[in-house]
This record gives sequence, structure tokens and C-alpha cells, in this order.
Amino acid sequence: SVRAHLDKPSVIRLTLSYIRLQTLLKVHEKRNSLSGLDPLDENSMYLKILEGFLMVLSTLGDMIFLSDNVSKYMGLSQTELMGHNIFEYTHPCDHEEIRHNLRLTAGWCVLNQKRDFVVRIKSALTHRGRVGNLKSTTWKVLHCQGRVKLCAASSSVSCVLLTCRPLPLSHTLLSTHTFTSQHSMDMRFTYCDQRVTSLLGYRPEELLGRSIYDLCHTLDTSCLNKNHLNLCLKSQSVSGRYRMLVRSGGYVWVESHSAVIPGVQPSRSRPRPNPSQPLCILCVTYILSQKQQLPDVKIFKAFILKLLFSILKFQTNPMCNIALDEKVIYGQKKQLPDVKIFKAFILKLLLFSILKFQSNPMCNSALDENVK
Amino acid sequence: MSAQNAAAGGGDRAGSEPADDVLVEEEQSNSLPSLMTPSITSGMSSSMDMPRKRKGSTDNQDSKLAMISDADMEDDQNRSDGEDQHVKIKCFREPHSQIEKRRRDKMNNLIDKLSAMIPTCNPMSRKLDKLTVLRMAVQHLKSLKGSASSFSEASSKPSFLPEEELKHLVLKAADGFLFVVGCDRGKIVFVSESVTKILNYSRAELIGQSLFDYIHPKDMGKVKEQLSASELHPRERLIDAKTGLQVQADLPIGASRLCSGARRSFFCRMKYNKIPVKIEEKETQANTSKKKESQKYCTVHCTGYMRSWPTSQMGAEGEGEGDKQDSSYFSCLVAVGRVHSHSAPQVNGEVRVKPTEFVTRYAMDGKFTFVDQRATTILGYLPQELLGTSCYEYFHQDDLLHLADRHRKVLRSREKIETNCYKFKTKYGSFVTLQSQWFSFVNPWNKEVEYIVSTNTVISYDNSRTARSGHKSEQSGNSKASEDCKKSLPVIPGISSTSGTMIYAGSIGTQIANELLDFNKLNSSPSSGNVSPFSLTQEKSPQTLNQITNSVPNGETSDMEIPGKSSSDGEPQGASFPGGDSLMGENSQLDLDSVVGPSLNSFSTDEAAMAVIMSLLETDTNLGEAVDFEEMHWSL
Repeated sequence: SVRAHLDKPSVIRLTLSYIRLQTLLKVHEKRNSLSGLDPLDENSMYLKILEGFLMVLSTLGDMIFLSDNVSKYMGLSQTELMGHNIFEYTHPCDHEEIRHNLRLTAGWCVLNQKRDFVVRIKSALTHRGRVGNLKSTTWKVLHCQGRVKLCAASSSVSCVLLTCRPLPLSHTLLSTHTFTSQHSMDMRFTYCDQRVTSLLGYRPEELLGRSIYDLCHTLDTSCLNKNHLNLCLKSQSVSGRYRMLVRSGGYVWVESHSAVIPGVQPSRSRPRPNPSQPLCILCVTYILSQKQQLPDVKIFKAFILKLLFSILKFQTNPMCNIALDEKVIYGQKKQLPDVKIFKAFILKLLLFSILKFQSNPMCNSALDENVK
Repeated sequence: MSAQNAAAGGGDRAGSEPADDVLVEEEQSNSLPSLMTPSITSGMSSSMDMPRKRKGSTDNQDSKLAMISDADMEDDQNRSDGEDQHVKIKCFREPHSQIEKRRRDKMNNLIDKLSAMIPTCNPMSRKLDKLTVLRMAVQHLKSLKGSASSFSEASSKPSFLPEEELKHLVLKAADGFLFVVGCDRGKIVFVSESVTKILNYSRAELIGQSLFDYIHPKDMGKVKEQLSASELHPRERLIDAKTGLQVQADLPIGASRLCSGARRSFFCRMKYNKIPVKIEEKETQANTSKKKESQKYCTVHCTGYMRSWPTSQMGAEGEGEGDKQDSSYFSCLVAVGRVHSHSAPQVNGEVRVKPTEFVTRYAMDGKFTFVDQRATTILGYLPQELLGTSCYEYFHQDDLLHLADRHRKVLRSREKIETNCYKFKTKYGSFVTLQSQWFSFVNPWNKEVEYIVSTNTVISYDNSRTARSGHKSEQSGNSKASEDCKKSLPVIPGISSTSGTMIYAGSIGTQIANELLDFNKLNSSPSSGNVSPFSLTQEKSPQTLNQITNSVPNGETSDMEIPGKSSSDGEPQGASFPGGDSLMGENSQLDLDSVVGPSLNSFSTDEAAMAVIMSLLETDTNLGEAVDFEEMHWSL
């Protein structure tokens, strides 16, 4: 029945897509043998699990292929959209970013082949998810992740494979390793979950009014900046991995999923967004790793420990001394009692040095007035 | 005919949106009436009247489609003749021939593209006529379908791609693998083939194993929580999709957690094998590599949902659950794990750090707010000794002028500003020559300067200061420094020195920052609300700083001041430093500058530290006798 409604140009458009797709698959995929027993009906699950649709884009932005569940997210069917150009459907301000992501990289470096960006796309769905009518165009925010498939033979076949998920994501159960926080639009904390204390060591009161940029490792500034910009422009964002400083020193890797919402009080269980209230940013931050020391500290501490052990060794094995330390050979000098104290002192010195390396720069900044 | 359609189009468009606000409708999938010939048009449109009206749509939806795309389409895209209708109505003046021409051009364009894609058409030197191209296209398609034997036409849903292929594409895009684990013990019931490419374990190795064997020990609690039954966690933490806030679960807990469809999303670290496993050798290699592997982990983002099956279904396959529980349902998590990139997040090219570089961060007024650990080996200060202090205290006098100028510049521009080489005082009194790149990072929302990031490169280590070989020379060093500072600081333009106040190096930065704030307040508009919290905190700190610098007439940081500035270790720290100094003083061999200075240039960090400590330990005395470590008080 779909076929009956296609007009000639559409037919050609879809044919083009089909051919391109087949060419792509032929070039890159070795058809794996069938996976055998498949009690779970594996194939149909993927897109359902990922809560998104698959999009294959040419380097010029033609949507070569879209999985058929695209209608669930965009309100437009697969046959309507395939073959068209993505620039027709996305927000003009995002076009530059899309172009940047479609560019093929010269090198074969694996890292450069990954793509991860957020775009606004037109959607025919109303807020309630029903297919809307003319008056209900909305911009939907899509999080696109994927990679570039390069074709050595002809660059026209190269394309970008993306899975696109609309943000915000649906209900998920948060684990103990996440915390939520609210920020004003300049990313200063206005509210923070109690869990942050167990995860990062800060009390929520300490964080209020602080900017998230203070909490983060300097080298990750650009990542956070991009996140913030996405939020200001597109209202949703997924940050990449970045480092947050822990109160006691060191840092952890985290990732944040954020959204801009009209300000709501966190205590109300059924918030009704009030349009007159100022906007605020809501962040869910996932902790990815344990506290890491800054690398030099690790090396330094490891070295100190080694040194301590070697001091111990020196004590217990006179043979060792004779072999290694020539000064010792010149007579068996009796060890002066001062030396004992001296060594004890050295060891204390080393240990205090280690302790100091643990400290967190954040705590010594203007935040903690006792320091001054 | 076409006129009829045109009229219909016009009528319906009357109530439509302006062009920039249009929407593409979905009701009829792809039902663009072909308006190539009027007869076909009317036929099709009439046949589609019924379904369209049923859905309450207009029968001009397709011209809407065209209208939208026309707004921002490119020439070679296909939107058909609905657009022509629109054009016709809108501008009656455009001759029909032009419309027809456009239609033809589009068609030609498409056919050209098609011929480019078909292998048989390509080598032809002369341009082929349309019919031939189409015929060849059909042949090509037939051949494609013939070769792709892995799918059947009989599937209920004809699709462009067989599901198998789709799955491959999805996995390729997502760099992911599907896995199903039972909730009770975490047994891996199923894992997709793609796991071999990602984690380098074969399927056979993984199926039947417990998932927890492959997860980082510290993440086990997290994963257990996601899989487990509800009794352990009475308080649900769900996120409402619309508001993103936590919602207190009003639903009965057991039902919601384990019900099919409840979503899960979490990050965990999974082991991966460094050696890629070949399918044929999996038996031998798997065992050996398991023993050898050095526990490398990668971060995996798992998203999926809970699903339960009645256990009666599971008995048949070997993958079925071995022990059947009393409950008739086997619940598990069905999820896709996607790997996060293995490397660190992209380091911005601006902040690429090489071995002899370190990064620091200043607040607007030049106070340190972040110090890279590398700075310690280069400058001698520990991070908290620097934090909160103004960078101007460490700059050599001769450089104050040009650095203040750069400071001003960087606050006003968004580019990277390079400083010239300048001298930075290290802890031991000597100077290292640095050259820095500064750029100010601006908060995108309120356009305030958050901080200044400085990437500092070491140019040389300056050994011009005399070695402090004894306590006396340390004192003389101090007095020399104080002499220097007793001369008045050079007059820096713009920095006022009101009578009665001495110019402290630290105040330079503060004044520059204040200048900027005043400038902003005067010139720009209502971000003053945002500015005030910042300026408040900034106003507080200069006073405290001044208190500290008041106590030190020479404005330098020497070792004696450290206890006051740094963290709350207090007593023991105070004790150790002078002790350390005196120790160094006693030993005439010790020459910290010569030890610390040039050695840092070429050695790695731990060697530098080693040098320092070994020099401390290097005495004439014999280290042969055992020390009773228990005697020492390890007060921590």
C-alpha cells in the first residue's frame, strides 16, 4: 500500500537510497554467519533498547537510511524521509555543527571516527506524543552518537552511522552513584542532592552559589563549555566524560545529563512548571570512577613508599650497605643516636609531604575562610 | 485536474501556517500525488481523499510537504509537484513552462544521480537516456536482491534492510553489544556476537558466566542495585522524563522495579581482553589470556529494560536458566552496552601540556584557584601554598609591568594572550623563567569571566641566586629580598597608590580586576545582578589577603609564612618546615638549587623527588643500624 502512494520522484529517491545502502554494506560488512539459535528475537530489540532510531548520513547530509521506527520519534515515516537531506529538517543554527561532524577525517585514527553531538530536529509529534497537525511543529532535541564509515574506494560511499536518541531520556532508576543538582543558567548550584556528600565529599550547602567550573579540572574546561552552550541553545545536553574535584583531593570521572526546565521547587513531587519562573538547569551526574590522584602524585607517593622500604632494607641487611654505599666501607662507624632521631624525622617529613599532596585545591580557595 | 487540485490547495492553505512554521504531516505515508499528468493526479488525489478525510487532514497536505521543503531545500531534492501548485497559486505570473521546466530538471537530476550510482551506467561515456538508466537500475536492483539471499521476502514487514543487516549497522554505530543477564545471580544468559570486537572475549567464554566476574570490583554494588529486587532499596529514585526531577515513587515498589519495561541506565567498568580472541583459537588463548591479563577496564554505558519471561519457556535451549525458581517468572535485564571512548576526553588543543609545562588557573584578580601538581616540582610550592595567593607576589619586579598589562588584556579579550618570558619566584628563593599563555574563560550564560587559564612553559631554571648553604645564608637571602622590596615597587600605570597604603604585589591583581568590573558596570547592562555575588566574594578576599601581607613587610613568601597560609595542619607542619630548613642548613653539601634546579630539567618527576630526598638523607653517618620503627610516633 505504501507503494501505491509513491510518486515517481519518490521512487527514484528511495531507489537511490537503497542502492547506496547496499553498496555500503557490501563494501564494509562481511556477512557474518547467522547467529544460530536466537530465542530472544535479538534483532528487533536493539532499537527498542536504545530508544532511538538509526540514521545513515552521507557526507553531504543526505539521509541515506533511516530505521522505520523514526516515525515514532519524528512523526514522519521512513519512506517520507529517506533520501532527503538532513539540513531540511534541522535547526539552522545547528547546521554548522552538523557539517563539522560530517566531515571525513583524513587520518585513520580510530578516535577521530567517533561522533557525538546534539541537534534540534523538526518533529511532527505533539507534546503528548501523538502525531500532530500543522500547528504543532516542535523542535526535538536529538543526541546523535556513532561513527564514520570510510570507504577507501570512493569517498562518496563513505558515510556516518548514527544512533539518534531524543532527549530527555525516559524514566530510569538512579543508582547510588549518581546525584542530581539544580543550577541557575550560569551553572551555579542552586540545589544539590544529599548524595553528593558521599560521592564527592562536599556538603550541599558548600556548593550552593559555586559555579560548576570551579569544581572541575581545568583541562576539561572545553568539555564543560560545550555542555553549557548546548544547554543554553538546545535545552538538553549530554556532556562527555570530565573530571570533578573531590573535596579531599584528587578527582573522579563523571558524566552529566542535563536539561533546561522552568524553575521548579525540588521538594514538590508533582511539579507544575510555572512559565513565569526563571529557567534552571537540571543535572544528573553519573560517577564513573573512583577517586584518582593526579598522576604525578601517584608516582611521587609510590616512590616515597619505595624509598621507605629501601630504608628499611638498609637497616636490616648490612651486606647491602657494604655493597651499595661506599661511605660505609670506610670503617664501621657507630651510628650516632642522633641519626635515629634524624631518620625518624625524615620519615615524618615524607609522610607529611604525602598528606599535603592529598589536599584539594578547592578547599583552600575562597570557599574555606578558615584557611585565610 | 490540476486546476481542481490547485483550487483545493488554495482553499486549504488559507487556514495554514506561515511558511516558516510549517509542519510535515505524517498521516499518509509518503502519499505525494504525482502531478506529472493531470489525469493521474486527479485519480490519485481522489483515491486518497477518503483516507485523508478520515484522519481529518487536508488533502493538500502534500503541497504542505512541498512548501516546507521548498523553504529550505536544495535543488536536487525531490519534492514534487505539490510545490508547483503552491507556486502557481502564489504567483500567478510565473509561466507554466517554468514550472514544468523545474519539474523536469528535478527529475533529470535524480536520474543523473541514479546513473552515477549504478555500476553499469558509470563507465558509459555518453550520457544515457532516461529509459535506459531506469532499465539498468531495475536490473541492478534485481541483482542486488538476488545476491542478498540472507533475508526472505516473505517477512510481514517489507523493509529496506533485513533486520539482520540493521542489527549490524546499529551495533556498528553504537559500538555496542546486547546482553541479557538474570537478575538473581547476574548470570549472562545471552550476549551478542559483537562483544568479541568490543571486549575481546568470545561469546562462548561469556555465556553462562556471571556478569560480576567481568565488572570492576568497585562497581559491583552499583550493578547489583540495578539488577536486584526491591527489598534492599526501599526508596525509589526515579527520574521524571519531563522535569528530570526525582519522583517519589507512589507505585508499589516491587511491581515497578521488576515489571517488564522498567528502564535501566547506568555506567560500569567492564574488563576487556587486550588480546583479540580469534574464534578458532578461543579455547587455548582464552585460558592463557585470562591468567595473564592485567585487568584493563573500559567504561560501558548500559541502557536497557527489565523483562520477565515465564520460566516454562526457558527450559528448551541450553541457554535457559538452570535452576527454576518457585516464582514463575524469570526476570532479567536486557541491555545494550556501549563503550565510551577509551581515551581521555578530548584535550583542547589550547591546553595541551608537555612535560615541562604546567597549568594554573587564576581568578579574575590573579589569585590562584587551581594549580597543577606538576607545578610543585618546578616551583617548589605545594598547591595549597599557592592557592588564594595572588600571582603578583611571585613575579619578579621587572616583569610586573608587562604582566599587569597582559592581565588587563586577557580580561578584555577572548583570545589567547602570550606573555613574554618572566621570572617566577620559587619556594627556595630562586627564579625560574616561564612563558605563559593566558586565556580567559567566559561563562557562556552571563558572559562573565570565570577564570583565567594559564599554560606555563618553563624556559630555563635560573641559578643566579646564591646557593643557600647554611642558615646564615638563608637569613641573608631573606634580608636581601627584603632589601629589594623596600625599594618602592615600580609605578604601574593605572594602579593608584593612595597615600598611606603601601603597594602590595597582590593588590595589583585586585585593582586590575576591579577596573574590569567597573568598566563592565558602566558599559553593559543588567547583568549587574550576576556580577554582584562575584564581586562580593572578591571584595572579601583582598582584605584578608592584605591582612596577611601586612604581616610580612617584604611581601615575599618565605618559608616562615607558609604555616599561616596553608591548610589546617598547623603545628606539625610548622614544626617540620623550619626543621627541614635547619637540617638543610647543617649540611654544607646540600645545595638545593643545584639539586632541584637543573635536575628537574631533565629528570622525570620521581627522579626529581628522589634527588631531593636522597640529598636529605645523604649524610656522613652510617645507615647501617636498625632503627626501631615502632618507637616513632606516626601521628597522621
